[in-house]
Amino acid sequence: MSVVTGRAKKGNRLPMLAQAGPVSLWMIVFVTLPMLFIIFISFMSRGTFGGVEYTPSMESYETMMEITYFHVITKSIGVAAETTIACLLVGYPFAYYIARKPADVASRLITLLMIPFWTNSLMRLNAWMLIFQTNGPVNNFLVNVNLIEKPITFIFTDGLVLLGLITNYLPFAVLPMYSSIEKLEKPVLEASADLGANPRQTLLKVTLPLTIPGIFSAIILTFIPALGTYVITDMLGGGKVLYIGNIIKNQFGTIRNWPLGAALSVLLLAITALMLFLYSRFAKVEDMEVV
Amino acid sequence: MKTKLLAVVLVLVMVFALTACGDSGSESGNAGSELNIFMWGDYISDETITDFENETGIDVNLSYMNDNADSVNKLTAGAGGEYDLIMTCDAYMESLINGGYLEELDLSKIPNAENINKAYWTEQNQKYCIPYLMNYIYVVYDTERCPIDITCYNDLIRPELKGQLGSIDGARNLFPIALIALGYDPNSTEESEIAEAYEWLKKYNDNVVAYGSTETNIVNGTISVMLTYDGNTAEAMASMGDNNTLTVAPFTEDPVQLGFDLYVIPKGATHMDNAYAFLNYITDPEVMAKNLVENPYSCPNDAAVAAASEEYRNGPAFDFDYKENVFFQEDVGDAIKTYDKYYQKLKVGIGE
Repeated sequence: MSVVTGRAKKGNRLPMLAQAGPVSLWMIVFVTLPMLFIIFISFMSRGTFGGVEYTPSMESYETMMEITYFHVITKSIGVAAETTIACLLVGYPFAYYIARKPADVASRLITLLMIPFWTNSLMRLNAWMLIFQTNGPVNNFLVNVNLIEKPITFIFTDGLVLLGLITNYLPFAVLPMYSSIEKLEKPVLEASADLGANPRQTLLKVTLPLTIPGIFSAIILTFIPALGTYVITDMLGGGKVLYIGNIIKNQFGTIRNWPLGAALSVLLLAITALMLFLYSRFAKVEDMEVV
Repeated sequence: MKTKLLAVVLVLVMVFALTACGDSGSESGNAGSELNIFMWGDYISDETITDFENETGIDVNLSYMNDNADSVNKLTAGAGGEYDLIMTCDAYMESLINGGYLEELDLSKIPNAENINKAYWTEQNQKYCIPYLMNYIYVVYDTERCPIDITCYNDLIRPELKGQLGSIDGARNLFPIALIALGYDPNSTEESEIAEAYEWLKKYNDNVVAYGSTETNIVNGTISVMLTYDGNTAEAMASMGDNNTLTVAPFTEDPVQLGFDLYVIPKGATHMDNAYAFLNYITDPEVMAKNLVENPYSCPNDAAVAAASEEYRNGPAFDFDYKENVFFQEDVGDAIKTYDKYYQKLKVGIGE
């Protein structure tokens, strides 16, 4: 690089600028700067009407240290982890099944998986509400077949929130795992069988280790959004079941404590960064299978 | 050389394309013919808006708030460039006026405002806002499914109501009922009283199944008691039709909250004349009477109530005899931070 003349160097740079410039500018203006601003206001104090007063303060971080927030955060991580595990347990066999089908069948199955996403997610959540509400079809059926005497309150419970989260994020778990499993070379599996491994051993010693990048992408793609979600928990939880996403949303809405909301967002960012760091220890970030 | 030039041009084009986007967004269309309103969703009939558009040729752009705080946030951040009319409520008027966030109204441009009952429109407010609708926040229960009769706020924390209660949300809707139940001023600014109210609300919260959507939840049987607005009650009762088993709780002593939703013009609004035209239109008795069919809330416009349908005037949601025993949400100044702190604790609600 040091031998290149100034002229040639300049000549190399402009096309690069043309290609990477716009997208970099876009990212800086619409991603980096807002993120830095969020970090900045997390160190400011709140105004009486909400909004931000630009006097430095550590108040938000001190508030965040209160035990109640610790509970909310552990509860949120817990439910995000449950969602992720459920998505993996359901998603992996499903992805495996699709990947073993001929290409045309597989693509049809993938389409089926995506069809629910053609409707707005609020519609899907409302559908869950209608199905499970007190005089909805599930309760009516259970009462009519005499399984229960009185309708059960399904809606506005942790259970339904979990169900909503799982159904919402399942495709994000299946797709990366599918593309990982699909890339598995058949001869590798045949070799495993030839060398005396039974199907269980092949799965544990060959298939699973080789599809780790897909599994890890699935974890990242379900865990991170599930951790930050607030729409699903708001609608299915009835504003009573609160997770960290709801708490952050409330800070910018009803409670009007923007600095605290910002500080909690910074915490979420930190958790996300930690996840990506862990991922980078297992696999290369650029190999992340996102189909 | 050519490619170099092309690259530079390309970068510049893309950069300017970005700024161009921003510009065209704010300046598109004929500046004289639009009106941007920020208000509650599902709170004005589509017909009222279309009729206004047809009559005046003004394009109305409606954006919706989710919370009273949204409009206060907009107003205090300087919403004049973005909106011409913003809906807010009586509780915030004093601060908003003192903060200089509102345009003073020229009432000569709103002759129909004469129809508004001055009892609901204080002298100070007359300079800055036009009341739109008002709502009682009271307790309603299903006579068939609710396990107890309810005559005061303290009944709402009885353990029999666990899993039966639905409620509207918001610090300044919930804390006043707790303060009243405890015998304090509903607009208290004393931290010790607010803290006690918080303890009361924890029991209330234990009984609550869900916040929001009260009318849907009581009709579909999820809840049997609700703290809610009169307009939502009217909708719930109407959807139950002849089988209506809902009744407004016969409170004996506790006052109920009466709140107003008002239109204000944010400082520096760009379409002032259109805003005036709209305010005069909406205060027209006939127009408002028609709007009340879809939005059956209490209305401060006496002439409109007189012109409204029999059904509206005799609706069961307005059939309660303590209409005079009300309290208003007052501006509590800096104490709002105390309310918010305890409200936050209440909502997080675990591990003390």
